[in-house]
Amino acid sequence: MNGNKKTLLEVKNLETSFSTWEGMVHAVNGVSFKLSEGETLGIVGESGCGKSVTVLSLLRLIQSPPGKIVNGTAFFNGKDLMKMTEKELNEVRGSQISLIFQDPMTFFNPVLTIGEQVMEPLKLHLGVSEADAQARAIEILNMVGISNPEERLKDYPYQFSGGMRQRAMIAMALICSPQILIADEPTTALDVTVQAQIVDLVKKLRDELGMSIIWITHDLGIVAGLVDRVAVMYAGYIVETADVMELYKNPRHPYTIGLLGSLPRLDETERRKLASIDGIPPVLFRSASTCPFAPRCPYRIDRCFNENPMLRNVGDGHEIACWVDVVNHKEQV
Amino acid sequence: MTTYIIRRILLVPLLLFGVTILIFGMLQFLQPAERAALYIRDIPKNPEALESVIRNYGLDQPLYVQYWNWLVGRKNLTTGEISGGILRGDFGYSRVGSEPVIDMIKNRFPATLELALWAFLPIIGVGVWLGVESATHHNKFIDQFARVFSIIGYSFPVFVFGLLALMLFYGKLQWFPPGRFSNWVLAEINTGTFTQYTKIMTLDALLNWRLDIFWDAIRHLILPVITLSYVSWASFLRVTRSSMLESLHQDYMVTAKAKGLPERDAVRRHALPNALIPVVTLAGFTVVMLLGGVVITETIFNFPGIGSAAAEAAAQLDVVTVLGFALFNGFILIFANLVSDILYAVVDPRVRLSSL
Repeated sequence: MNGNKKTLLEVKNLETSFSTWEGMVHAVNGVSFKLSEGETLGIVGESGCGKSVTVLSLLRLIQSPPGKIVNGTAFFNGKDLMKMTEKELNEVRGSQISLIFQDPMTFFNPVLTIGEQVMEPLKLHLGVSEADAQARAIEILNMVGISNPEERLKDYPYQFSGGMRQRAMIAMALICSPQILIADEPTTALDVTVQAQIVDLVKKLRDELGMSIIWITHDLGIVAGLVDRVAVMYAGYIVETADVMELYKNPRHPYTIGLLGSLPRLDETERRKLASIDGIPPVLFRSASTCPFAPRCPYRIDRCFNENPMLRNVGDGHEIACWVDVVNHKEQV
Repeated sequence: MTTYIIRRILLVPLLLFGVTILIFGMLQFLQPAERAALYIRDIPKNPEALESVIRNYGLDQPLYVQYWNWLVGRKNLTTGEISGGILRGDFGYSRVGSEPVIDMIKNRFPATLELALWAFLPIIGVGVWLGVESATHHNKFIDQFARVFSIIGYSFPVFVFGLLALMLFYGKLQWFPPGRFSNWVLAEINTGTFTQYTKIMTLDALLNWRLDIFWDAIRHLILPVITLSYVSWASFLRVTRSSMLESLHQDYMVTAKAKGLPERDAVRRHALPNALIPVVTLAGFTVVMLLGGVVITETIFNFPGIGSAAAEAAAQLDVVTVLGFALFNGFILIFANLVSDILYAVVDPRVRLSSL
């Protein structure tokens, strides 16, 4: 949003792969992005494109084995998260960088009370007393819109509705006032009205607390009113990144164009068939020496099958990884 | 929680009634004459004795009358005296023990209880610990070792393991003798220099402050405890290991680590409480098994508990004694189940608060 703001997190060339029986799966292939103070970044892409693995890799939370962070740096406040000791990293996790997850049912521990779980990061990182932790938990649960928090602290996750659980999960993530909140598809498991409530809640909390957010979703509609910048991922690569308005108005990568074309719009005057992208997402067994989107791309040229395009600037912070200038329909260098 | 416990407790009388019906039903597999014959020597010479036993004990009466007599006792019409009745503590007369069955249980149960008390903690403690270590070091050396260890334990029959242990530690090394105490302890009991307050030897030894007798009791307990433990460790290890592995791969473990919990704390605070839920069930079964008398182990080590007593009675077709023990076992089962149900609710809030 604002280029003058301090960069909080700078990720460079992050690569993560998983070894499976059928071979190495390259889930994240050299992802780079920056996050400034107070900025909200949306990472968008279809299932299996590596967006969740990207953020889990940031905090080194992928199961290892089979997962392995092969390469990359992630500087947070001047220190590389990839090179920190486990102990240093534990001080960052849940305290300066927090995560909220897709399914608030399975990501809560069923045998511990909401209160115990919400207070846990606070006790762990700040060593506050039980009474203080409880007071803070009540305050934060109030903030996320859980009524009667004194009583609900004693409840178990299964006594909460889906939306309430996600609110509690947000409270748990924010209780230590982190600098970055990473939201890994937090609305996917909720129904549509609750989705909107959760997005509004996060917006409100961001304005009050001023943290940066990385919001992962496969739903371009959800992020429109929430994020400042969008990074579109495909097959473990970021294929396009731009300010949100620029991206919606002026998409330049064929994949983004395809994604936006498949969205229904309220302001359309005439009826049209929703577009779809032909083909299926690629299997990620080898890091591609071709453009991973080429087989499905309507604009492809021979070069796409010989060289994988790197991200390049096409003006005003708008970057795409494509050999073709789709707007003018010709090859670019 | 309170409602849950009250509901469980209210179920107990119903279950007890069921057990008595079952045991009484088993008794009916025998003809009245067969049941009476247990108490008469030389039947061909006293045919009328058979008749009189049947008549005196009402064995020719309708089933519900017999059940009632068996349950609450039988009034002698001429003297007005009430005799029998399991509710009055009369489980019948044991031919094998030459004493009432209830006395036999009273005499034999402390030994079984003592063995159970000493075996329970090692079984659960070591079994669960091995299971947790094995799961947290999945496919590492300790896991492979524990798996081999548990397969051997599973496939090792108790009587083989027990006999091997006896051969080695008693036959060869003379370290741990069979039985419950040495002869000199028996002499002290008989002369009254050692008072048996509870009949649990180790406890009595401490109450009398006789450490030599305490050590003697421990020496007699070690082999049966090890035998019981080794075969039970396998099942605890396997159940704990698999439920722990499942817990470790749950989403809430990612949450726990994302909060900044070190691996060890995440395992202890988040995975373990979930993983222990099935272990509680197994622990319940184990308690029932231990308190119900471990027939083979007690027999091998000549340990005078209710398991070996029931085996002796069965070998001599003493039906009344066997059913008396079965009834007692049924009671233990019901109460152990009650305790494990309550523990279940303690570890799993979903059970505690559901409307079951």
